[in-house]
Parts: sequence; C-alpha cells; structure tokens
Amino acid sequence: MLTAEEKSSVTALFGKVNVDVVGAEALGRLLVVYPWTQRFFEHFGDLSTADAVMGNPQVKAHGKKVLESFSEGLKHLDDLKGAFAKLSELHCDKLHVDPENFRLLGNVLVVVLARRFGGEFTPELQASFQKVVTGVANALAHRYH
Amino acid sequence: MLSAQERAHIAQVWDLIAGHEALFGAELLRRLFTVYPSTKVYFRHLGDQPDEVQLLNHGQRMLQAVGVAVQYVDNLRAVLSPLADLHAQVLRVDPTNFPLVIQCFQVVLASHLQDEFTVEMQASWDKFLTGMAVVLTEKYR
Repeated sequence: MLTAEEKSSVTALFGKVNVDVVGAEALGRLLVVYPWTQRFFEHFGDLSTADAVMGNPQVKAHGKKVLESFSEGLKHLDDLKGAFAKLSELHCDKLHVDPENFRLLGNVLVVVLARRFGGEFTPELQASFQKVVTGVANALAHRYH
Repeated sequence: MLSAQERAHIAQVWDLIAGHEALFGAELLRRLFTVYPSTKVYFRHLGDQPDEVQLLNHGQRMLQAVGVAVQYVDNLRAVLSPLADLHAQVLRVDPTNFPLVIQCFQVVLASHLQDEFTVEMQASWDKFLTGMAVVLTEKYR
C-alpha cells in the first residue's frame, strides 16, 4: 500500500502532531461540516452551533481518543485490518456506525493536517495520508456483517 | 439553500483567491492528479505529464468558473448551464469524481489559509462546492 518512503514521511509528519488538539479539531469539524454525523453523539450535550461543537469538552475528549487510536494504527501500516479488528467489531455490533463516516472523518483529518502544516503538506504527503486514512477506514469496515 | 452567513464565508474566502485563480487552480489539479491518479483520464488533452503552464491555464479556467458561481450563488443553475451541458454531453466525468475535486479544493484552501480557514468556512465551501457539483451533473440523464 505505502512505499517505505511514504511510510517514513507519514510517520515523520504525524510525529509533529499534537494528538489531543488535532483529534478534537478533526472530530469537531466533522460534526460541523457534515452535521448528520451528530446522530452518534446526541448524548454529548450542546452541539447547536459551530462554536458549541468546537468547544464541547466531550467532543474534545472523544476526538483525542479517536486520534490516539489512529496513531496506534500508524504503527501497523502493514496490517491495518488486524490492528483495527476489535474496533471494527465494536463499531458494527455496538455502535452501529455506517462505515461511510470513517471515510468522512479521514478526509476531514487530511484537511486539518493541511491547515496545520500549510505548504509542508505537499501533494505527495497528501497522497500518502489519503492512502492511510482509506486503509484505516477499510480496516474499520472490514469486520462488518 | 445557503444562509446569509454561509454566503459571507464563501465571499470571504473568494476574496483571498481572486486574482490568483491560476495558482490555486494549478495546485488543485496537481493535488488531484497526485492523490487520485485515475482522474487524469479526463485530462488527456493536457498530455501524459502536464507541465506547469498547462496546469496554470486549465486551473485558471476551472477557478474562474468557481468565481462566477460565487458571484451568482443564488442562480447556479442558470449561470452554470453551459458548463452543465458540457459535462453532460462532452466531458461525461463520472459523478464520483466531484467529491475528489472537492476534497483537494478543501486541502488547497486549508493549506493556504491555515489559521484563517475556520470551521464555518470549511462547512460553507463544502456545501457550496457540493451544490456546484450537483448542478454540473444534473443533466447527465
């Protein structure tokens, strides 16, 4: 999926990422840009405005959790399906999340990285990251039945 | 469809792009071709390895069309009608490609505007560009 060079550039860039902040931003932006995704988070309290979403402590906490998990996944780029097997079952059996949401979040994460890294986020880096987020989304969908 | 606030965000972002359509357009195409190489099948007239000049020219055309859409955001169907005809009859770009262009567009905006690229701007532009894509593919059948 990724060449050795791509893996190394992805890891290098992601190493500079503050997982707490970027996770919160990515999840927050997902909920604002694609408001129907809020359907999974009605218990999170106030999501009524963009400011409310971005400032919501539960959104921040959950965003952090999601990105920590993604971070872990980056250590297993050769076996994403294995790495995310349990989470895949959880998202299917307990959370009932349409896998399309994983693709949406992956795309939002790429936009957030572009925002933070600016010109450093070259087309080649974007290509590598899009492959990673697609791989993670597919891995998370893999155990659906 | 678009609220007054959304239109304001759209105009605000466009102000930062206006005058630089070629540069933004070229980067959009560069990202599109790098990240989603299958999209190159629709641009064979640019050659196997489009050079900077070709990307700037074609990119400018595409972004100028976006600029027109920004100006006439209340009347997209009328103002994009010739382009809709072109896409339906000549280009016939599979509709699944438009979200790929939109993703690259968001990345271009985000990487250039950075701190200024607020969540409201991202939301408004995603909605606006998606609306454009709907109009451009509406006459397909």
